[in-house]
Order: sequence, then structure tokens, then C-alpha cells
Amino acid sequence: MQQTFPISDEELEALATNSIDSVFSTMLERSAILKQVIKIDEANHREGIRLPIDANTPMIAGTVGFLGNLTGIIYIFMELPLAMEATCKLLDMEESDIGVEDHELVNDAIGELTNMIVGTFKNDLSNKGYECRMTIPSILRGSNFSIEPAEVALRRIFKFDCEGRSFVIDVLMKEEN
Amino acid sequence: MRLKVLTVDDSKTVRIIVKKSFKGFDCEITEAQNGVEGLAMAAKVNPDIILLDITMPVMDGVEMLTKLKSDPALKAIPVIMLTAEAGRENVMKIAKIGVRDYIVKPFKEDVLVDKVSRVVDLRPAGEAAPIQKKIDDPIDILVVDDKPAIISQITEGFGHTPWNVKGVSSTGEAIDYCQKKLPDCIIISLSLPEDAAITLFRIIRSNAKTKYVPLFGLSVKTAVEEQARAQQAGFSTIIHKPIDFEELESKIGKAVNLDASGKYFDMGEGFMTVKLPKSCNAAVVNEVSTYLKAKTSEAVNAGISRIIFDAQNVASLNMDVIKLLLHSMKTCRDLSLKYALTGNDVVVEESKKFEESKDWKFCDSLETAKASI
Repeated sequence: MQQTFPISDEELEALATNSIDSVFSTMLERSAILKQVIKIDEANHREGIRLPIDANTPMIAGTVGFLGNLTGIIYIFMELPLAMEATCKLLDMEESDIGVEDHELVNDAIGELTNMIVGTFKNDLSNKGYECRMTIPSILRGSNFSIEPAEVALRRIFKFDCEGRSFVIDVLMKEEN
Repeated sequence: MRLKVLTVDDSKTVRIIVKKSFKGFDCEITEAQNGVEGLAMAAKVNPDIILLDITMPVMDGVEMLTKLKSDPALKAIPVIMLTAEAGRENVMKIAKIGVRDYIVKPFKEDVLVDKVSRVVDLRPAGEAAPIQKKIDDPIDILVVDDKPAIISQITEGFGHTPWNVKGVSSTGEAIDYCQKKLPDCIIISLSLPEDAAITLFRIIRSNAKTKYVPLFGLSVKTAVEEQARAQQAGFSTIIHKPIDFEELESKIGKAVNLDASGKYFDMGEGFMTVKLPKSCNAAVVNEVSTYLKAKTSEAVNAGISRIIFDAQNVASLNMDVIKLLLHSMKTCRDLSLKYALTGNDVVVEESKKFEESKDWKFCDSLETAKASI
């Protein structure tokens, strides 16, 4: 059974959009527009959900967790071309400098971008009185992702558009007693 | 001298961004991936400033900062946190350990440069480097203190050097002096009334002529609040009273970029002598190490093939000195140079206590050492 959650949907949406705005405008000089919000609960998605992105597109997913009054994990699913563009912008490099096979550099850049996004999200939570600590970022690569959390009080999926390319933020969190 | 910046972050991306940010400046960037590597690198390169992340594997930034601040040889290195962690509790905890500033990711490169330039003298690359003076060249030191006894003490403390000390008692006199003659460094008493030290600091730093002159704050060791205010305003080095003149001389030498190799290296009659001083602490060993490679090359190019490591004045043999000598002797062997050691009774006795040095043979004078090789 789901717990009642201390943060409203409006607040959560503001936290997600603010963290994306802040990181994309500062580090990538790009803007991203929120296109879709999916509310997940036991009633409508007991067995998890397919992400609102093309299942066949190769993706890279950055993930960072946070522990404290609120505990959770945030996934950022990004189409590989967008991940490559973001890496080039962050490092001031051309795609030809990086190379398609240089997974390490792109993984690291997306890991850091995820770290900054979750950091901004977490710092806003802290300003609301919820102190948390972050975990070290990790990276997944693949396609056709489906996340099925074991136990979670709240899950929201936010789909953004960044100049014609899509990415998704999957927020899973619960309040610790 | 190029400014040394150490970036400690587990993200290669951040380390590349840091490098990119300082591309246009006269900086040398060294990198470490976690706190353990960061501490080792700090001890090795003695950076002018450290940019430190918090969340890292192996050893996080908070633990590294705590260890750094408890190490007498490293605690004076200013640290700026560069991290995604900015919760109030975190900031308070880190501020208590002692950081100079805090940059929250995401960050603009110019913000990073601006914050660093408030702590250290960041110069654009290609700006004409001043001619390097030697440690025994005369330099001008301006002391701003309303207590004549302190000015006299500093003048006497540098009596054995060719350095000129000029004392003034107010900020107005200091500004007048700087307009007439640009000093090589300025020591400002932090206890001047009405926060005059901070006002003077800002005036000096905002003036194109004086903005790169090294500034030292002078304060009683226990005046912690005064020192914290000064550090917040941008003072990167604070000298404590009572003054340790050996330490101050070394700090001024480094800040003014004096070539101090003459203190340790001597060449003549076919020999290069490396003279180790009485107090051979980590800072001294680091300074000798900095010059060693260049001086050895200079000796080889001058046709010198025999080197004497003179430890006759050394008061106590410690692991830093042993490592320096081990490294130096290996360099000699690699270059097929002959070498000999000299040492006093204490050094000879202490050398027997260490596995690395128990078999070393010391001569009791330079003449004997020269004759042995």
C-alpha cells in the first residue's frame, strides 16, 4: 500500500524542471521543455511501465541515488545522439574527437550531468527541510529499458524535449521514518 | 612561476572542464581521482590551490579536507569545494573544517576563474614574466603596522638578508609608498583599527599596478575571528605572531618567486655540493627537490660529474630527507655521476635506524668527501 507523500505533484514537477533548466542552461547552453508527466501508482502500473521513448533507440541512462529523510533514485534516460552532443558541449570537443566507441568519456560526461541534475534536485529538497546525501553516479547503456521498483512510495516520469531530441527523468522516492 | 592548481574529482569530465577553464592562464593543472590520490598529489606538487569535490569513491572530499587540515605541511593550501552537494548541513560542516570558498555544480567557467582569482594571483598566459630574482638579491618589503615594535622586529629578523624593510603605520602611507615605489611584497597587520587591513587589501587588489603584489596578513595566532575575516576577504597567506622568520623567509621567497637554489646548491672545482640546512622539514625538502633536476642538468652541462650531498648541518634525519637522498643518489647512478655523503654524528647515528639508510657511508668533512670520489 502506498504511503502519503509529503511533497505535492506540483512541487515535484517544479523540482524536476528547475534542476533540468539549471544544468542544461549553465553547462550546455540549451533549454529543455517538459512535454509529459506520467504518474505511476500501484493501481495503474502494478508491474512497472515502459518508458515513453522509442524502445529501439540506443539509450544511455545515468543514475544517482540519495539517502536521508527522503530516500530515492533518479534515472536520466537520454538518446545516444543527445548524450554525444551533450558530451561535446561539456568538454568543448567535436564528435570526431570523441569517437563512437569511446564509451568511457561519454559515460563519464553523462554521469556528471546526472550528478549535477540530481544534486540540484537534492539541494532544493534540502532547502525544503529534507537533508539527504548523494550516491556516486552509475551508467547503464542499452535500449528497451523497463524499471520495476521493489518498494516505492512515489514514482513520476517526466519527458522533456531538447531541441528535437527526447530524454526522460524517472524519479522514485519514499519518505524514511 | 606557474600557478599550480590541483583538481580532485572522480569525474574526468569535471577535471577536463577545470583544465579548459584555466587554459588562458599561466597555470599548471594536476589531477587526482579521489581523496587518497589528492593527498598524495598535494604532498608531491605542493599546489597553490585545491579544487575539491565531495562525493568520491575510496576517500571523499570531507575526509580528504580533514586530513589535509591536520597535516602541518599541507594545511595552509587554500581549498575551494567544487561540488553538487550544497545542503545547509553539508556547507556548515565543511566551513568548520576550513574551506576558502564553495562552488555549487552546475557552474559557469568564469565563476570558477573568478573565485580562484580571489584566492591566488591568477595571471593571463603569455603575460611577460618578471625577471626572476635570486634569494640573495635585494627586494623591497612593505610592512603596514601601527606598532613600531613589530616593524623593528621584522627589520631585525631580515637583518641577515639583503632585503629592505620599509615600515608604515597607516593605509594612507602604504598607498603613497606604493605609488612611488612598487614593493615586492606587502605585510599588513590584521589588527589595524576599523578593518583597515581589509580595506587596504581591496585597494591594492583593484589597482592595476599593485594587483599582483603578494600580500601577507599578520596576526596573533589566537585571533581566529580576525584571520577568518581576512581570509574571507581574500588574504591567502597569514603569518602568525610571534613570527617564525625561517618560515616567513621561505614564504616570501616562494611568493616573490625568488630563485632559492643558491641556498642549497653550490658548483665549483669540478663538484656540485647539495647543502642541506639545519631544519630539513617537508617544505625545505620539497624546495630542494624542485631545483634538483634542473641543477643536476646544469652541472652535467658544465662538465661536472661529482656530487656531494652535505648533511653536516642537518639537526635530525627524517624520512623526507632520506627519500630525497635516495632519489638523488638514484639520479646520480642513472647519469653515471659519482657521489658522496657527509654528515654529523647525529645524522650518522639516525641513518642506522632506517632500513633504507642503514648502510650509507658518511664522510665527516667536505674535503674527505671530495677526496673519496
